[in-house]
Amino acid sequence: MQGCFFMNQFRKERNKFIILMLMPATILLVGLTLFPFIVSLILSFTDYSLLRPGQTKFIFLDNYIELMKTDEFWIALRVTVVFTVLAVFIQVVLGVVFATLLHNENSNVSLLRTLYLLPLAITPIAATFTFRLMFNPSLGVLNYFMKLLGLEPQAWLASPNTAMISLIIVDTWQWTPFILLICLGGLASLPSEPFEAAKVDGASSWQIFTKITVPMLYPFIGLALLFRSIDAFKTFDIIYVLTSGGPGILTRTLNLYAFKHGIEFLSMGYAGSIAIVMLIITIVVAQIFLRKNKLLLPKDTLKG
Amino acid sequence: MKVFFRRAALYLFALWSFFPLYWLLNTSFKTSKDALARPPTFIFKPIMKNYIEVIKNNEVWGYFLDSLIVALGTTCFGLLIGVPAAYVLARFKFKGSADFGFWILSTRMTPPIAMLIPFFIMYLKLGILDTHIGLIIAHVGLNLSIIVWLMRGFYEEIPMEIEEASYVDGSSFFQTFYKIAVPLSMPGISAVGIITFLFSWNEFLFALVLGDSVVRTSPVGLYGFVGYQKIYWGQLSASASLLLIPVLFFVFLFQKPLIKGLTLGSFK
Repeated sequence: MQGCFFMNQFRKERNKFIILMLMPATILLVGLTLFPFIVSLILSFTDYSLLRPGQTKFIFLDNYIELMKTDEFWIALRVTVVFTVLAVFIQVVLGVVFATLLHNENSNVSLLRTLYLLPLAITPIAATFTFRLMFNPSLGVLNYFMKLLGLEPQAWLASPNTAMISLIIVDTWQWTPFILLICLGGLASLPSEPFEAAKVDGASSWQIFTKITVPMLYPFIGLALLFRSIDAFKTFDIIYVLTSGGPGILTRTLNLYAFKHGIEFLSMGYAGSIAIVMLIITIVVAQIFLRKNKLLLPKDTLKG
Repeated sequence: MKVFFRRAALYLFALWSFFPLYWLLNTSFKTSKDALARPPTFIFKPIMKNYIEVIKNNEVWGYFLDSLIVALGTTCFGLLIGVPAAYVLARFKFKGSADFGFWILSTRMTPPIAMLIPFFIMYLKLGILDTHIGLIIAHVGLNLSIIVWLMRGFYEEIPMEIEEASYVDGSSFFQTFYKIAVPLSMPGISAVGIITFLFSWNEFLFALVLGDSVVRTSPVGLYGFVGYQKIYWGQLSASASLLLIPVLFFVFLFQKPLIKGLTLGSFK
């Protein structure tokens, strides 16, 4: 009886703790996201347009059916997926490798880390316009270097062959530091024994990297990859400033497509349906990713 | 030999990270004619005119102050409510905890186009449009998912024995959390703090729609140097360069716990 009483006391204590710790975050997020979500969902079932706000009709799934029938939607989806997969893959590889190298370095570490974080620190508007200047075919510094090296100058942002590559270069420049920073934090919080033991056993640096660093860092890499993918999937500013989706619609992502309909054509219902489709795709992919990698629940829990 | 290759790679990557910034700095010391010279110039007569103009410009100081208030507020407020949630999600399983965690994550997935107009209406009704607190709340909302999920990842890597020992000694959950778990997770808090600060400092779209006249953060302010006809390269690059100083100062202050072996090492 006595033991049972203490168990109940413990459970009560535990539940109170859980609720109190989660409360502030929950209130804020419900308050901020529930209303916008419901509004966009409802809008996506209407033909609401700012051009004729008085005559809005409920059209159920018409926006979605229209979307599925349009080639432009499928092209935008393909562009978005290609951009997200390539950019995030390159960034994860670079981020993990350079975080590990920096973690093992012992001179000028502070300076190097600061230099690595600069792309994340500079105002993106200024950085993106600087890239536009550097990519300029006639007066840009990139073609200047190409000529110095005896290579063919490129039209970069204006050419179908290089527009996507240019965007991925800029995105990689800006966002690799994000992955690097998370991995640095992860490396700093890992126990050092496995690394020391491997060194004593005479493992090579490459073996340590593949057999110990990457597996131990895996939860951090997974999270960095997840967040970077979620953000890359809805990239807007870089693409809008550099190519505006061109040449033609070769770099027009879903987000730019939605922007075009929502802000330029003012048909908020249609734009809303694109946003909801993007949300559904992200939720499905994220669920699969998290389940496969067992990142949804903690590995172990506290027992009193 | 190994050290040589590692250093070569590290400095090459530093060059890649720094070059666009070098070009921006370079531009900030050029006249508008030099900035758009063909071919691009590396050596030129540097001028201070752009910096003097920017420093004399009270509006730029205003952008800086607004950004600082919003970014610091977002970081403090975000960590204050995000870290406890992360700790609970890392240490306890309860009914629906997986779904709860995923719901927090999903708040980052909605494309901004779907959020902006409802946000604007909400802020108008609440009367917090164009205020610091309004922008801080929005930025915390945008970044809370990242704070919670990353911090949860850090807590899961911290061995539980120390916390369990603390309970056995009779400490409450709250005491264990702030006396043991929080200090142990300082590398994580530091990395996540830097990320939150930078995300808020550089956020453009919400700052433009929910702010803009009274509260105008630097990204929105700097966009003013991009005209329809021409880009004011001198002022844009000079103010962007100056704005880096406080950011680097903040990153420098916050990065200390990232240095290896500072936290966990002391327990062994």
